[in-house]
Amino acid sequence: MKRMASPADDEHLPDEISRAVKKAVRLEWATLGVLSVTVVLVFLVMGNSQAMKTAWIEDMLSMVPPIAFLIGVRVTRKPANAKHPFGYHRAIGIAHLVAGTALFVMGGYLIVDALIKLITVEHPTIGGINLFGHTIWLGWLMILVLLVTGIPPVILGRMKLKLAEPLHNKVLYADADMNKADWMTSFAAIVGIAGIGLGLWWADAAAAIVIATSIVKDGATNLSAAVSGLMDARPTTVDNKKPHPLISDAQEFLRNLDWVHAATVRLRDEGQVFQIEGFVIPASLELATPERLEAAENALLEQDWKIRDVVIAPVTHLPNVVESD
Amino acid sequence: MHPTRDLFHGKFPDVGKGTLAYGVAMKKVIRWLTVLLVLAMSLTGCVTHYPADPHGTLDRVTDGVLRVGATHDEPFVSVEGSEPAGDEVRLVEEFADTLGARIEWTTASEEHLVTEMEHGQLDLLIGGMTMDTEWQKKVGLTRPYKETVNAYGETEKHVMAVVNGENAFLLELDQFLQSSGGQS
Repeated sequence: MKRMASPADDEHLPDEISRAVKKAVRLEWATLGVLSVTVVLVFLVMGNSQAMKTAWIEDMLSMVPPIAFLIGVRVTRKPANAKHPFGYHRAIGIAHLVAGTALFVMGGYLIVDALIKLITVEHPTIGGINLFGHTIWLGWLMILVLLVTGIPPVILGRMKLKLAEPLHNKVLYADADMNKADWMTSFAAIVGIAGIGLGLWWADAAAAIVIATSIVKDGATNLSAAVSGLMDARPTTVDNKKPHPLISDAQEFLRNLDWVHAATVRLRDEGQVFQIEGFVIPASLELATPERLEAAENALLEQDWKIRDVVIAPVTHLPNVVESD
Repeated sequence: MHPTRDLFHGKFPDVGKGTLAYGVAMKKVIRWLTVLLVLAMSLTGCVTHYPADPHGTLDRVTDGVLRVGATHDEPFVSVEGSEPAGDEVRLVEEFADTLGARIEWTTASEEHLVTEMEHGQLDLLIGGMTMDTEWQKKVGLTRPYKETVNAYGETEKHVMAVVNGENAFLLELDQFLQSSGGQS
């Protein structure tokens, strides 16, 4: 027995959810716009600062999660078909995996790059720049650019974080969390450049290592979340901290049916929505009619918009991998 | 939103935004930043220049000796006479004057001079170098002070080179070259 929300239901998210999706899409486009301007500005003043170069690459990498989200949202809207009978929801998981890998690998490369500069005692050279007929130290301009470009992502990140939870979108959550921490990148780079100004040649590479480490950490967080999603691990809340409440809700629902003796469920997190497999031991065998099973499936589908796909099987004993206490 | 996922990334687990504890924590952060800033500013007060030279080039050459390496490349540098001559030589002489420095010339191939510079034996390199010089990883370049067009119609942006990271000296030279370099 298998019950799915009809294809048209993809567009029929609850009002507040579809509003949240639209808002998230707008915010991600805004993020891409802000990041593009940042990347250009930082490139123009980058000079020989390793910290600035690292921050610049981080800014470019920060575009990957928003792009992954935008593609994910578009692709998952496609209804299931014969060739893709489970729909396209996993696209979000794949996008998440790509984003995590990019961050992890690039962060690692940047740590090595900065370490080499420290080991080879490379002194960063930052000279003058012409501004309105005066030649000033380029470092001042770098600091100014970092201050200006460090602020908008933090604001956008906080706004996106508010949407990530109701949408149960881990890409959006990871992206928002990274943006929110962006001020630390700018701050580290500013410290590095101010250090160069004080004649501390190592300050720049040290700041670069701090930034690169945070990129690696972001990458590792994203990777592990994406991998556990694709491995069909037990669904969690968006911050990966707790088992998702819908698991116990669905289990409770099935157990409380009057014709059911015992029940358990296992859920797959398809990125934005869940697929439920329910196992029920009927009080007596003839009670497990197709009509009752269908009614239970429909009731679960209506319980929450995140439940997109339900299969309930009558069984004689419950699978012992899922907690069935 | 989960209250601990906040500005402080769980460092203050009970601090939700808008609570009294949040305000106290914020004040703590601001106090620390202020201390850092004051510390940085007092450090700045200790050094004579900002940006500073890790090896103190500007302080050493001021009223001292400026060690300049020159490679033949007319019309910028000519080493055919007993003393180096050419546009860049003239510029360096003027720059040395502003610092009250006496010039000590070394003439050799660029590769040889770059090696000397990497070992701290030279302060400044000239010889018709451009922005795209192959040596740009090993030495610090000034901003282009002049543009010319070569025989192949390509624009060449002319620069001089200093020891990597000697930023006070570099900025001093940049300021000199930008204010007077273009005109000569």
